Amino acid sequence: MTRLAITINGRAIEPLEVRDDLSMNDFLREYLGMTGTKFGCGAAQCLSCAIIVDNPDGTSYASPTCVVPAASFDGKAIRTIEGHAKNGELTALQKAFIDHFAFQCGYCTAGFLNEAQVLLERLAKKPVARAALEETIAEALDGQICRCTGYIKYHQAVRDVILADPQRYLA
Amino acid sequence: MLGTSQLTGYAASQTLSNNLASPDSFADIADQDARSAAIFTELGKVLTHPRCMNCHPAGDRPRQGEGAWRRLHQPPVARGADGHGLEAMRCSICHGYANFEPGRMPGHPEWHLAPREMGWEGKTLAEICEQLRDPARNGGRKGEDLIHHIGEDTLVGWAWHPGFGRSPVPGTQQQAGALVAAWVKTGAACPAK
Repeated sequence: MTRLAITINGRAIEPLEVRDDLSMNDFLREYLGMTGTKFGCGAAQCLSCAIIVDNPDGTSYASPTCVVPAASFDGKAIRTIEGHAKNGELTALQKAFIDHFAFQCGYCTAGFLNEAQVLLERLAKKPVARAALEETIAEALDGQICRCTGYIKYHQAVRDVILADPQRYLA
Repeated sequence: MLGTSQLTGYAASQTLSNNLASPDSFADIADQDARSAAIFTELGKVLTHPRCMNCHPAGDRPRQGEGAWRRLHQPPVARGADGHGLEAMRCSICHGYANFEPGRMPGHPEWHLAPREMGWEGKTLAEICEQLRDPARNGGRKGEDLIHHIGEDTLVGWAWHPGFGRSPVPGTQQQAGALVAAWVKTGAACPAK
């Protein structure tokens, strides 16, 4: 057992005893009832279960939750799909997803959104040239699988957000 | 007189595929080079096993699985500048400090790809042997470093304890280390093919 202390979407969760064989996905969905994080393949292959992990240095990365023990997140700060909108106001990325109808069944959307958010935060710290943008987006979203094959719309949505604020994201 | 390749083939065939012969098993081979090559051929059961080959790829993408299920790693990961993955997808994001059986996820604190120059995929055992003798292609290792790397390195040792559904490499890490030591001691000769 591990006493898990974790911050989720800016809120410190009361430390909980969790089994060492409990996956992070089960912890979010079954212990906390945060079902925005999906369970897809169960093998870190589709990344529909991806969440955002915030590093102490201000950088972030996306992590699958289905194959990773909850205990490994002890002391960490994470964000889930439930943490994007603030006070009911969607982020620019969420709005772009809606504008582009960048989902169909919606099952993979949370993972795409989190991975794309990580990309935006990375580009804000390390902008890329416009010429490298397409490759950068493709590479960042390379691991996400959408069984409805909505890739083009996802990519368009992310591209639009970046191009709408070139001072921030482009070198 | 039997040629080196015949001798090595004979020696290697004397053991079950999930075992490793001890260095003493090769004592009857009088010619030292032939004995050394035979020892390396036995060691080859470890080196060419999917548990080792999958992360010693020829290119920048590791493989996973074995037999008919051996394939490029999914999700699509790549070597990155330091062998620990690309910035957007580091190995450690999925691969924790240890195997996580409920998720069937293998793990080790230093999970990463072997350097590009140490790729073995698609090479014959003789080519791998030559590569292991070349410091420019073996991570700058001398003989004693190779003994340590194969015989004691804990990431290499994972291959004997790979977790859910994965076949371990033959024998034990200690036995593999003994084979490397014997191979080095006998002149580190390579098999003919």
